Amino acid sequence: METRIKPKSLLSPLAKQLTSRLPGRGLLLAGLAIVLLFIGMAVFAPWISPYDPTKMVDKPFLPPSLKHLMGTNRIGQDVFSRIVWGSRIVLYVVFSATLLSMAIGIPLGLLSGYRGGKIDRVLSMFMDSMYSFPALILAIAIAAVLGPSPMNTAIAIAFVYIPTYFRMIRGQTLSIKNQLFIDAAHALGIPDKRIMLRHILPNLAHTILVVFSLSVADAILTEAGLSFLGLSVTPPTPDWGYDLRVGQPFFLNGQWWLVFFPGLSVMLLAMGFALIGEALSERLSLAQSI
Amino acid sequence: MAKKGLGYYIVVRALMIIPTILILYTIVFILLRILPGNPILAVVGTRNIPPEQLKHLEHLAGLDKPLIIQYFDYLWNVLHGNFGVTLASPMGVPVINYIATRFPATLELTIWGFTFSVIIGLVTGMIAALKRGSKIDTGMRIYSIVAYTLFIPWFGMILQYVFGVILGVLPTGGRIDPRISLQTITGLYVLDSILTGNIPALISSIKHLILPGLTLGIVLSGAYTRLVRNNMVDVLSMDFIRSYKARGIPRYKITWYALKNAFIPVITLMGLQFAILLGGAILTETTFSWPGMGTFIVDRIEYRDYNSIQGAIIFFAFFVAVISLIVDVIYALLDPRIKY
Amino acid sequence: MKLKALSKQVAIAVIIAIIIVGVAAGYFAFQAGKSPASPTSTSSSLPSSPSATTSESSTPSSSPTSSASSTEAKLASEIVIGVTDKVTDLDPANAYDFFTWEVLYNVMEGLVKYKPGTTEIVPGLAENWTVSSDGKVWTFVLRPNLKFSDGTLLTAKDVVRSIERVMKIKGDPSWLVTSFVEKVVAKDDRTVVFYLKQPTSFFLALVATPPYFPVNPKYPEDKIASDATWGGAGPYRIVKFVRDVELVLEANPYYYGPKPKTEKIIIKFYRDASALRLALESGEIDIAWRTLRPTDIQYFKQQSGFKVIEVPGSFIRYICFNTKVSPTNNLLVRKALAAAIDRQQIIDTVLLGAGEPLYSLVPKGLWSHIDAFKIYGDGNIELAKKLLEQAGYSKDKPLEITLWYTPTHYGDTEADIAQLIAQQWEKTGLVKVTIKSAEWSTYVSYIRKGQLQAYLLGWYPDYLDPDDYLTPFLDSNANGWSGTGFANETVNKLLEKAQTIVDQQERAKIYEEVQKILAEQVPYVPLFQGKLFIVTRSDIGGIIPSPTMILMYNTIYKVQG
Repeated sequence: METRIKPKSLLSPLAKQLTSRLPGRGLLLAGLAIVLLFIGMAVFAPWISPYDPTKMVDKPFLPPSLKHLMGTNRIGQDVFSRIVWGSRIVLYVVFSATLLSMAIGIPLGLLSGYRGGKIDRVLSMFMDSMYSFPALILAIAIAAVLGPSPMNTAIAIAFVYIPTYFRMIRGQTLSIKNQLFIDAAHALGIPDKRIMLRHILPNLAHTILVVFSLSVADAILTEAGLSFLGLSVTPPTPDWGYDLRVGQPFFLNGQWWLVFFPGLSVMLLAMGFALIGEALSERLSLAQSI
Repeated sequence: MAKKGLGYYIVVRALMIIPTILILYTIVFILLRILPGNPILAVVGTRNIPPEQLKHLEHLAGLDKPLIIQYFDYLWNVLHGNFGVTLASPMGVPVINYIATRFPATLELTIWGFTFSVIIGLVTGMIAALKRGSKIDTGMRIYSIVAYTLFIPWFGMILQYVFGVILGVLPTGGRIDPRISLQTITGLYVLDSILTGNIPALISSIKHLILPGLTLGIVLSGAYTRLVRNNMVDVLSMDFIRSYKARGIPRYKITWYALKNAFIPVITLMGLQFAILLGGAILTETTFSWPGMGTFIVDRIEYRDYNSIQGAIIFFAFFVAVISLIVDVIYALLDPRIKY
Repeated sequence: MKLKALSKQVAIAVIIAIIIVGVAAGYFAFQAGKSPASPTSTSSSLPSSPSATTSESSTPSSSPTSSASSTEAKLASEIVIGVTDKVTDLDPANAYDFFTWEVLYNVMEGLVKYKPGTTEIVPGLAENWTVSSDGKVWTFVLRPNLKFSDGTLLTAKDVVRSIERVMKIKGDPSWLVTSFVEKVVAKDDRTVVFYLKQPTSFFLALVATPPYFPVNPKYPEDKIASDATWGGAGPYRIVKFVRDVELVLEANPYYYGPKPKTEKIIIKFYRDASALRLALESGEIDIAWRTLRPTDIQYFKQQSGFKVIEVPGSFIRYICFNTKVSPTNNLLVRKALAAAIDRQQIIDTVLLGAGEPLYSLVPKGLWSHIDAFKIYGDGNIELAKKLLEQAGYSKDKPLEITLWYTPTHYGDTEADIAQLIAQQWEKTGLVKVTIKSAEWSTYVSYIRKGQLQAYLLGWYPDYLDPDDYLTPFLDSNANGWSGTGFANETVNKLLEKAQTIVDQQERAKIYEEVQKILAEQVPYVPLFQGKLFIVTRSDIGGIIPSPTMILMYNTIYKVQG
């Protein structure tokens, strides 16, 4: 037990960022503000949203007004309510996707990097093949096969992000593996499983946090892309990408609110996570390795 | 491995393409067959066709064979350069014909998006590095994040609306004015019109390329901005640069030197970006009605056209793999520190 | 936390974000404020088109062949038509979709054809025809000296060869021949005789379809030629075809009939309606045909410089109920759901007027049509409630049903239609609807296996006869594709009988009876019949909208000047 390196809290770099005056703190705060805004919107959707997002509540195509902050869409649904509820779907899909790919990518990366040998070669080859291929195309194929539902979209997205985590974790594991304290742990006869979980994994926490925020930002864009192509959720479920798609023809007629707000939401939310990731990665000087 | 030289490295990297493609092909093959429905059903749809004829059509398409046979049949054909024929409307067109017209479209779009993104990235990154620590630097930094998180269809539509509908100066879809006939040699319209000396075609195809190219370019430029800036900052703060400065070597020369050095990691990123670019091309193609590979794959998924999708993916995978191989080799040549 | 602590970056980030949002919003708001002004001022430019909106009245009044002759000298030699449809297969032995058929109708011709703008059948390549008294032997006599579009002679042998070719190749539409024709013989150079398997009252409607078109001898005997451009003996011939890009037609110099008004027709293929619409606006094309979205139609109606022409549709949309699975195997449920549907609301909201309520599977305008489903009314929530209560459902124990749709096959509006129907059903307070969707191929597979409860489908006729709107749906030997599992002996017998009777009035009576049974049994709920629109620039004339939904290019002209 003496040799055990004290696992750092996952949140420690975040906490440090907030309290220390390092460059990038502004980015971090801005990012956090945006993300918290959307999370708040998702959590308190029933109270914030003035109307039922799935029902026809007024005449179609009403421009933004006090009654309908962002206007109404082609079938008389309130755009603002759909944005508010849409944040739930996006966050749900994106978080489940990211957690899912972490749950698979991280253990495999650890195992592959730590054990090496045949397992490592096979896994690396597999992951590299997937990684080299345009993620969106693969996600499209998977989403099309699974059919439209939030969970299925999450699975499709998770699938394409597994290699990102795998590669990152494997690389880091390889470099930590040869450090002295691991050798020491070996010498003490601590089982491999324990070394991986207790000694290596905690040291990867920072990396994971950075990759997490950046891949969430990316996943938001992928989710929106999938629903833009009609492969994500089934209406009347509110979803930004889908609303953007069906709004396109009206957009060119001048009904700009149908496209403008959903697209802006996608961008802002992705930006929130990207800002956090950027700030953290700068702090951990990981910028080049993503 | 490290001592066997560049040639060996290239061979090994080239051989790695084979398993890469096999893995992707297998994933796609399985995905396509999991769900009920097949290309013949997609064509027949709700049409009132007798069951015997349905069987006959499925037989013609080879869909009555065991899956394992279908798997190896197709693989065998691809090895002989035969990507099969389309299975859904239109039936029986060689998939390679589609790839031959669709791929150059995607490539052309990608090249332009790529060029735009590198130029914008270099310029913004350089400015940021030279004005390090200033408001401009911060502005460029924010630009790189905003650009990265722009949602392509949204950004594309806004450009379409502004330049296509309101100002009416640029076309919003397609590759070339339909009334201009252009003899295609490479399938890259800009290149073809230069080769054939067709000025109207050249102007038209460039005009058609600007908006989609810019959409893709701006979205991807963010990554370069950041990378160029950081690298230039590193180089500019090195000791020998300082000594150059002290010796009074002109500023532009130093900048040029720094830029050149900052370029090496940019090349690596270019290799990685290329795959992302091809993916982003799907959304750009959809938004701008660009008849490329992305829209082709999406169209064919609706019909569950096995051969087309498999063929397109294999081709894509091969192309991406070759590009990343080339990038790796260039990288290895440029940077003597790299051990391969 | 102190405000000062917020670093510069945040301030700048926020300012930039606000500027972006503000500028963009302001810009769009300005644009939005601008557009509503246009409709009133420009509507006056339209009166030329409404005359063409109803098919029957338009043809005699604006007969373009005569009226255009005076302007002949000023007509353009080239017209560009844009479409979002694709040419699937230029071989009539395998082509089986509306747009490809349209191209075939223009580059080929059958023994008989439709009189422009009507469903009336008139002589085509055949001068006249006779039918034997038992209705099983049809004899056609060709016009003298017919030639294919490359100048090759066209004889009865070519007609026979083409039809035998279809039978041999067994492509998608081949059943239109093989299910009816026993054999076809060339008696001499100008006489073709069809021997049918059974008396077929609607045989002429079949002969007017592309599988019966004589094709150039260059088409291989037993192989599909998907990209073949040899054509047949129609008013035009193909000079260039680049798949998904363009198709160029020029007048066929060997055509027996009058020379087309426009020498060259270019068809441009667009990926989607937005691209098509922009192409029309920019002047890239003269005519936007299949298929603009209802919003685009509304837009063009308000713009000057464009004409919007309405085409009566023969395609129908409906909901299917699986009569074999719970809860739709309960007749009361089916009736209740039929009663709750408000067709007009769907048409007004989603289709923006591009449709007409339909109360039978036989579309309005086709003989024998009756408004059979009017017995339930429209949006009749009271009746629906009553029926559902009868079936044992209540507020605490609502009817749970899944409504399926397919997202792309019937266009972008499908999801909206499903949402509205679900809302209408839920209005009863006794129904809980789950909406689900599946991509087309999967959708079809589910349906054929009878795995869905309630689902949206559409029907494009193969031949224009009430038989094609009833037999495939209700005859239990023919409706396997529909997944409804509907079987009714009386209906089977009636439909078979109608096929053998030549007298139209007698047939009409039988079809009316079948439609009444349909409305009582509710295996399908008809929703609406579609309308199509052709939008042209205002210098285009001579378009004859037809209920066949086929646009003939040879009457179209463009005034220059």
